[in-house]
Amino acid sequence: MKRVPTVITGTVGMDAHVIGTKVLSRALRDAGFKVVELGMQVTPEEFISVAQETKADAILMSSLYGMAELDLKDFNHKRMEAGLGDVLLYIGGNLVIGRYDPREIEPKFKALGFDRVYPPGAEPEIGIEDLKKDLKAKGKM
Amino acid sequence: MKKPRVVNKRIDDDLLMKKRREELDKWPTGKEVDFEEAAAYQKSLPDSKVWSKVMVKLREEGRMSVFPRAGTPVLEKMIELCQGLRESGVVLIPVTTDSYTRLGQYEKVQGILDECNRTGKALLNGYPIINQGVKQTRKLVESVDAAFSPRGISSEITIASGLTTYESGLEFITWGAYSKKMTIRELVERWQNATRVAGWYADRDVILCTDLHGWLPTAPFPLSVNIVTLILQALTAAEQGQKSLYPLVHCMGNMAQDMAWIRLAPRLIREYLDKFDYKDCLIPGCCPAQTPLFPNPMDMGGAFAYLNYIAIVGALTKCNAVDLRSIDEAAGVPTKDTNTVSYGSARWIFDVIREQDIEIYVKGVDEEEKVTETEVRAIMDRILDLGDGDVIDGTIKAVEAGVLDSPWSPNITVKDKVLGVRDAHGACRYLEFGNLPFPSEIKEFHRRKIAEREKLEGKKADYHTAVRDLWSFSKGKIVGLPPYDK
Repeated sequence: MKRVPTVITGTVGMDAHVIGTKVLSRALRDAGFKVVELGMQVTPEEFISVAQETKADAILMSSLYGMAELDLKDFNHKRMEAGLGDVLLYIGGNLVIGRYDPREIEPKFKALGFDRVYPPGAEPEIGIEDLKKDLKAKGKM
Repeated sequence: MKKPRVVNKRIDDDLLMKKRREELDKWPTGKEVDFEEAAAYQKSLPDSKVWSKVMVKLREEGRMSVFPRAGTPVLEKMIELCQGLRESGVVLIPVTTDSYTRLGQYEKVQGILDECNRTGKALLNGYPIINQGVKQTRKLVESVDAAFSPRGISSEITIASGLTTYESGLEFITWGAYSKKMTIRELVERWQNATRVAGWYADRDVILCTDLHGWLPTAPFPLSVNIVTLILQALTAAEQGQKSLYPLVHCMGNMAQDMAWIRLAPRLIREYLDKFDYKDCLIPGCCPAQTPLFPNPMDMGGAFAYLNYIAIVGALTKCNAVDLRSIDEAAGVPTKDTNTVSYGSARWIFDVIREQDIEIYVKGVDEEEKVTETEVRAIMDRILDLGDGDVIDGTIKAVEAGVLDSPWSPNITVKDKVLGVRDAHGACRYLEFGNLPFPSEIKEFHRRKIAEREKLEGKKADYHTAVRDLWSFSKGKIVGLPPYDK
């Protein structure tokens, strides 16, 4: 039987901009993933505990209010401590305050432990293709 | 056990006084508030600082003002920022609070505010009005000749400080667009408590104004549900003694619809207030608002065009205020300079277009007004039916039954069985009606309009069409013909 990967979605921190994560969740479901949809304002700790509970393969976070870097300061350390080093981490949205060059953002979030970083308005399909590729590379799909 | 029924009935004075003190005891500056002294201070303010009176005067003189967003933590800098706004013609000035204040984290705010005061740096994304307190904030009010309105906070500290609108902080917008788990029952109870405070001041001839947001259309979605919630909030507030309120009308980008809704919302609110015998509740104006998704932070041209579209709609419909964001809205906290250029450009529109007093006929406005009016009345009738004549009881049951519904809500108690898409002219239509109680001819109208777009695009409208439409306005392309966003 083919393995169905489990992914967690939600907006991180105090961000209420929920539409992106709703659209993404449905697209993931349509693409055959098992989606644990946490909705808006999910704390980093909740992402970790739900990932442990559901044995998730990936966490896909959204953030539109510019404070993601602040919200995720200790996240990588905590998820490593929780034994979740093998879980794929993606994030997308308006990730810092102010006008910026998206190319400057990616290294920042890669340093925070994220495998892939997407600009605002990125199509769900692009993220889903990347996810399939990354999961296959890990032998999880 | 059966839950007690929430009814649209005024909260008694003993309960009110207890709740007021409890609220103020949350931070030491609450002690600066003496209720009777606050009322006396409000009464001593000149007309130019009284929001309701400023709006009426603008309307009578055929003028308009931007209602912007602005807040910075250090008092002296805040005064400077507001004086800057006043110099660019703004007479309705916001006191936008920082995010931590909105969440009630006053202790955390104090530490950061002390550092701001020490270094002169703006480390908070707004003015922390609770920590600043009454004495300090009165200095702000007395330094600028304009009316002030708190943003993002509901506290009597704002009233005692001389701000002349009162934000309940708990409208449909709070519940339907910002809350994850709050039930509609919790919302209406809190909304009643908050508006009762404005009623207490009204009893002492202090008229505090409130702007009504209603349940935000978070995506391209017709405004009928929103207008119903504006009416519901108005009726509830009026029962608690509120004497002045006005609607924000969320413009979605199709000019015929936007103009129709600007005409319709205040007219229907007035009609229902009168019908329920709240005839002394004033509606001092109508304020088109820039609500949908903003262009991305790098698209400054789009940001300018977008704010000026709303300014033009406001000018052509002869509104007295327009709720606008600066071109920095998507990028974060606006600076004094971006405020100046943003609101300066809106002012230019006002001066050139509003002053001409143009009588414009936009094809389709009458039809859109009639369609939305029919929808609003159908929902209101069902709500009053469900509540056996009681607005509050009916509202709760209507939300639980999906008679009031919205797509894309973050609140898990919302039905979310409805969906909107744009038609061949960019107007918002219902693709899925859920349990909205519309007559069949209305449903047919929406289907026909959507069919026109389907014919142009050569494919059926579905969920994926709605998803693509989410970005339509912010990308400056509201008619969804391919190539869509190239």
